Amino acid sequence: MKLDETQQWFAGAVMRDAGLDEVDRRLTRGPKLDARGRFDVYRSGYVARLVECLADDYPILKHALGDDAFEDVCRRYVERFPSEAPNLNAYGRRMAETLDGFASDLARLEWAIVEVVHEPAPPPVTTEALAAVPPEAWGDVRLTASKAVRLLSFDHPVNDYFQAVRDEKQPAVPGPAPSSTVVYRSGRTVWRLGLTPAMERVLAALLAGEPLEQALDRAGDAPPEHVTAWFREWMASGLFVGVTPP
Amino acid sequence: MPNRFGLPDLGVGLGLRTVHYGRIVETQPQVDWFEILSENYMQTGGRPLEWLDAVAARYPVAMHGVSLSIGSTDPLDRAYLTELRALRDRTKARWVSDHLCWTGVGGKNTHDLLPMPYTEEALRHVAGRVRAVQDFLGAPLALENPSTYVEFTESQMPEWEFLARLADAADCALLLDVNNVYVSAYNHGFDPRTYLAAVPYDRVVQMHVAGHTNHGTHIVDSHIGPVIEPVWELLGEAWRRAGGVSVLLEWDAEIPGFEETHAEALKAQRYLGQQP
Repeated sequence: MKLDETQQWFAGAVMRDAGLDEVDRRLTRGPKLDARGRFDVYRSGYVARLVECLADDYPILKHALGDDAFEDVCRRYVERFPSEAPNLNAYGRRMAETLDGFASDLARLEWAIVEVVHEPAPPPVTTEALAAVPPEAWGDVRLTASKAVRLLSFDHPVNDYFQAVRDEKQPAVPGPAPSSTVVYRSGRTVWRLGLTPAMERVLAALLAGEPLEQALDRAGDAPPEHVTAWFREWMASGLFVGVTPP
Repeated sequence: MPNRFGLPDLGVGLGLRTVHYGRIVETQPQVDWFEILSENYMQTGGRPLEWLDAVAARYPVAMHGVSLSIGSTDPLDRAYLTELRALRDRTKARWVSDHLCWTGVGGKNTHDLLPMPYTEEALRHVAGRVRAVQDFLGAPLALENPSTYVEFTESQMPEWEFLARLADAADCALLLDVNNVYVSAYNHGFDPRTYLAAVPYDRVVQMHVAGHTNHGTHIVDSHIGPVIEPVWELLGEAWRRAGGVSVLLEWDAEIPGFEETHAEALKAQRYLGQQP
């Protein structure tokens, strides 16, 4: 089919600069631009559109790398991962795997933010549902995690860096240091909460659906009043949307 | 004017954009209707849908897509169509539109509205696909004339003839974008009024206006800034030919606050003879 051949050529020229020597044969010149000049409106727009999408998803990574280096990263990304979806919601999902070290960690954090925007975030588990659990059963209840929660472990303090950039503090790129952050959406707002190792252990267990007592025991030497405070905050924040009695 | 598929004249509406969500949902300003970008609310179960539900509960909406790729030689994407139909049902959208274009082949999406060669073969191909989509949706599909920056040497007819013949062959609706007519006329050197004279207005269910970027050598349909006077005049002429139809402003770059954007849309009323 001629139409298919035409489209294969056009798409290849737009996306991969393939067959550009055929532009003059296939396209007419316009009143003020030759055929190549006209065609380049599509060719330049293709990359620019996808780079803009990635810049929207990764504003802090762009800040960290600088505009030129970020653009280089994006151009390589566009070349490696052409879009196959009807929209660009998930286009940038593989950015972290194209990067190393701090930049990769930062990309993971920013992608988690995108993900929780697109996950449903129902209201937190109600106090009525909690009150319905008999006291003697509390140790064995399991909590249902919200889909709009991501618990992340990093080799760099990326959440601190993220916040410092947001606060316009011009932070230096940090060296390696383990860190954990939970990213979640409550209502229409996305939150990032830094976690200590004990908090991370407990929260990971709760998100995995471990019985409550077993999960809380993972706090180790942390003072019980601290563990209680964490738990209350996580419940109130909407990290959990249901409770299942034993 | 007969036909128009029984679809209502919703008045002068505005393209729903993220930056205006809060203002619209919290204060519920008087707006005739909103056009939503279909794909913004697909492949998501989260916040975009929450905003959309709040808007659709209060205002009439119509859906406008950019990835149907009706002109592509790839098979129609059934998963996409299924999600599109579900979104239509969820929002009670008055109609569904997309563009006379293709967005990619071989499963790839350029996320651009790529131009068609206007050939007899392409006409048959697109007409068949439009019919298939309409059967799937159980409703007419409105196709929009695109802004184009190139023309193919193999084309056998002008765009306005292709569009009119397509609408007849597929029995589909049309979304007439008068800014796109202006942009393509500038880029290809034809008279926009020649285009307007050839439109089958009984099939036009909606008109678009928008700003654009004039680079001197060519115009890009950037949907930025206010609508220029010649485009408003084209709207007035087309609207009179149609005998009244829904009008919508698209503003997608450097979007100002809601009040300014809506005020720009309401300028349309001057050209429709609806206010002194």
